[in-house]
Amino acid sequence: MHVDFLLEVFERNAQRSALVWRGRSFEYGWLLDAYRSWQERLTEEQLPSGSVVSVEADFSPQVVALMLALIERNCVIVPLTSSVEQHKPEFREIAQVEISIEIDAQDNATLNSTRISVDHEILRSLKQRNRPGLVLFSSGSTGKSKASVHDFVPLLEKFKVPRNCFRTITFLLFDHIGGINTLLYNLSNGGCIVTIQDRRPETVCAAIEEHAVELLPTSPTFLNLLLVSEAYKNHDLSSLKLVTYGTEVMPESTLRRFHALFPEIRLLQTYGLSELGIMRSKSRASDSLWVKIGGEGFETRVVDGLLEIRAQSAMLGYLNAESPFTQDGWFKTGDMVEVDGEYMKILGRESEIINVGGEKVYPAEVESVLQTMDGVEDVAVSAEANPISGQIVKARVNLTHEESLTAFRKRMREFCKGKLSRYKIPQKVQIVETSLHGERFKKMRRA
Amino acid sequence: MKDQLIEIILEVASDLQAEEEIEVDEALQVDTPLFGEGGLLDSMGLVPLAIAVEQAIEERLDAHVSLADEKALSQANSPYRSIGSLAEYAANELTSRVDG
Repeated sequence: MHVDFLLEVFERNAQRSALVWRGRSFEYGWLLDAYRSWQERLTEEQLPSGSVVSVEADFSPQVVALMLALIERNCVIVPLTSSVEQHKPEFREIAQVEISIEIDAQDNATLNSTRISVDHEILRSLKQRNRPGLVLFSSGSTGKSKASVHDFVPLLEKFKVPRNCFRTITFLLFDHIGGINTLLYNLSNGGCIVTIQDRRPETVCAAIEEHAVELLPTSPTFLNLLLVSEAYKNHDLSSLKLVTYGTEVMPESTLRRFHALFPEIRLLQTYGLSELGIMRSKSRASDSLWVKIGGEGFETRVVDGLLEIRAQSAMLGYLNAESPFTQDGWFKTGDMVEVDGEYMKILGRESEIINVGGEKVYPAEVESVLQTMDGVEDVAVSAEANPISGQIVKARVNLTHEESLTAFRKRMREFCKGKLSRYKIPQKVQIVETSLHGERFKKMRRA
Repeated sequence: MKDQLIEIILEVASDLQAEEEIEVDEALQVDTPLFGEGGLLDSMGLVPLAIAVEQAIEERLDAHVSLADEKALSQANSPYRSIGSLAEYAANELTSRVDG
């Protein structure tokens, strides 16, 4: 019932490739058969309708078929990928997972009962109403991971409108709202997703070349690493038509450099949150950070410089935190924005703004400048408390070559002069070896 | 140790002076006033200098000292009067840490 519109697409496109996994192509006809096999297996295993089920795997053909079968059985799906390996037991508890389904590297599945029972009000209400659900954990880059619960039915709704499709890399995993969005978008339009085993620039570029990928949905952090690694020089990326970026603020310098190198590739900023779903968006130009966001089912407003959104596809609530919605259903994103007519520019998280003696500093602006320095591979800027100025600007830096702190610091301050106001130039610098981004290629500003 | 500290502070202060294009009559030395009347730095320059000195001490002497905290601010005689007084304060902080 819920996925009938997808099954029709599968039937019409039976011969077409739905998914490339480990170099092998799987057609829509195959996916349809796999979906039916899963329906039978879930019945044989007597999996109760409405169960809370964790799907513990990375993107694979079986995972896609299984997810659709679970939706049809009104189950609440909790996707857990290897990127949250050490958090799995905790996340199963929070999401009150009754059955865990693990899919191994050979794409074989094992079902296990967890003996956890469901008593959370939101999960129980989904069960009572016979609605399939989805639980997504936030990355925790700005605090603890929050578990948002969605009713799957409104999430599916927007995919019923046919749109153009592209051969797409699944850069974002299926435990991320962006990954789910990529998957459903392609399945509903007969498109093809190309899965990758890791997300190093080299692997991604090789997959683009080998499978003639047209769309790369990714993060600014990854685009910066791609530029620094120069992995693009070893591969033919001419199939790539569109790169979408979201999940964090794009440094202006990264956007400009990418656009200058690949003027033919259109760059589109996306805006989505695990609490609300992905909105439709339109960048003013490929080299512009101004973006129009909204689309059917979304309303936006700006209150005191902060973006608020009301969405039809909004989550029902968090499992482990207070409801973040206002009385009348607006979600406070915590993102500071600048507005110009229909367009807005996202400046950064309100919680990450640095206050130096009363002056505001946005980490992304400082990072954007430092990232253009020779020898800088990656940089994360954050606040450090200081009794004199309240806070100071601290930069943690990954360097491509060894350099002493004194030498780098001197070079950095000279480089920033004229590019940043005096109070924005990092007072404190740390040269670090550890990665500055998380598993989802999103900057981790907290040390 | 105090000589090493003076050397570090002189170096950091000279860099800062060059960066910020602060005009000085003569080369910086131990009794050059840092902050306050006739000082090299304004209030915006004090924190960057203190943090830069802290970091240089960490790198070269492998020791940690706080030069921009409540304690430094609440001294009866401000450690920021001159390059020499800052070196003296830093030296005291470093030795008291070793002793204590």
